[in-house]
Amino acid sequence: MDIAQHTTDGRVVFTLTGRFDAHEADAVKDALHAEIKAGHSDLGVDLAGVVFLDSSALATLTSAMKRCREAGGDLVLLSPSDPARVILELTRLDLAFEIL
Amino acid sequence: MSAAPSPADSLAEALIDAQDQLLALYELATLTTESLDEDECVDPILQRAARLLSAEITFAVGETFAPEASSAMTVVAKNSSGLSGALTARRDAEPFGTADQKLLRAVANIALGAVQTSRLHADAVAQAVVARDHDTASELAQLALPSWRPKVRGLDVFARSDPARTAGGDLFTFVETPTSLHFVVGDVSGKGLPAAMMMTTIISSANAAMHSHGADPLATLSSIDSWMYDYLSGSGLFVTIVAGSIDTTTGELRLANAGHSPVIAVQNGVPSMLAATAPPIGVLPLGSTAMTEDRLALSPRDRLVVCSDGFSEQLDAHGNMFGDDRLLRRVADLSNGAHDHGSTLFDELDEFAVGAAQTDDRTLVIIDFHDQSVSRRAA
Repeated sequence: MDIAQHTTDGRVVFTLTGRFDAHEADAVKDALHAEIKAGHSDLGVDLAGVVFLDSSALATLTSAMKRCREAGGDLVLLSPSDPARVILELTRLDLAFEIL
Repeated sequence: MSAAPSPADSLAEALIDAQDQLLALYELATLTTESLDEDECVDPILQRAARLLSAEITFAVGETFAPEASSAMTVVAKNSSGLSGALTARRDAEPFGTADQKLLRAVANIALGAVQTSRLHADAVAQAVVARDHDTASELAQLALPSWRPKVRGLDVFARSDPARTAGGDLFTFVETPTSLHFVVGDVSGKGLPAAMMMTTIISSANAAMHSHGADPLATLSSIDSWMYDYLSGSGLFVTIVAGSIDTTTGELRLANAGHSPVIAVQNGVPSMLAATAPPIGVLPLGSTAMTEDRLALSPRDRLVVCSDGFSEQLDAHGNMFGDDRLLRRVADLSNGAHDHGSTLFDELDEFAVGAAQTDDRTLVIIDFHDQSVSRRAA
């Protein structure tokens, strides 16, 4: 999976492309938590290019979202692909995240 | 005034020195020790070297100091792992010669090798202890899953969980009464022992909740949420979890689902997914989302199937997923009872996954509802 990073309107956005599963979760977690630790609590994760999400991926996103909210910000999900949206809806994590 | 040694004398002396060095090296090389303790490995080498050189010899691992006095000689040995040691020899009788220096260098290298061997052994032992404790903890965690299967008249129950590693975060547990079955099935995010540790605690809280509120799955999940939220949230984990209760006198199935999928009801031979009504426990603070309950009227030969995602998302050797569609078709096959069909599905999944690794825990629970006059074999 590819992880790209850019900043838009003060929000650090990570664009993920490929299969987001247990094999990739640590790399994404490290990237997200590094930004939070650096004081950036408004994060976005672009899921338009993600073809699969498993529970490890969901746990990674959820953990980072909670840390952002504790720091006064939020982690929003951007443009989830159909497979990503299905997983978010099946697990009702669509109720927990702001999805743009 | 003594005469200068002749070339023949010098050659003879050099040959004797070389022979002495070879014998000394042979003695050192043939030293054996039955201990892997660092000091017990090195001390015999130093003692033998001290005797050969008629000198006092010390060896300091990690040191690279220079000789302090004219009567001392220090040689430093280093190996490819970055380990170093300084061997110092002191002798007042006569100064060290070139041959002595070569011998001391050999002794230093032999001593350093012994230290390295001892340390590698100590590391291996430490890792083996950790691995043994990990395996024991994993086995204990998996024992939290009930080994018994419900035997409620009118129900046929299959339940099996295969962790991807020695332990996993998938869980199921039951509480039975003569006329009802309460159950909880879940999947802690993550894998291995960390997820399994959380799984054991959730099973305990689920059992306690079902004993208090078993017929009311919403109350069961609410209790689990209240007990587990802080622990889950603090550890960065969550659990997708479904609680249910079947009243065998009425056929009513009550179900509350916090983020778990797939949950499938097969009614009149037609399978359908039952969606979750709330996010997994551990994601949002208690009471921040309104969870609702599903109620289904089961008829004889209806079936409830609850899997973990590791079952439906298993890949084959070509990267194809077993998938929900295939699962829906297969669970709707009612030619066998829950027990036989569950075993068959695991066999099919194993066959499907030949050549591919099991990447997630796999759990499958099947509950067949029958007329109460029919008593089926429990798994």
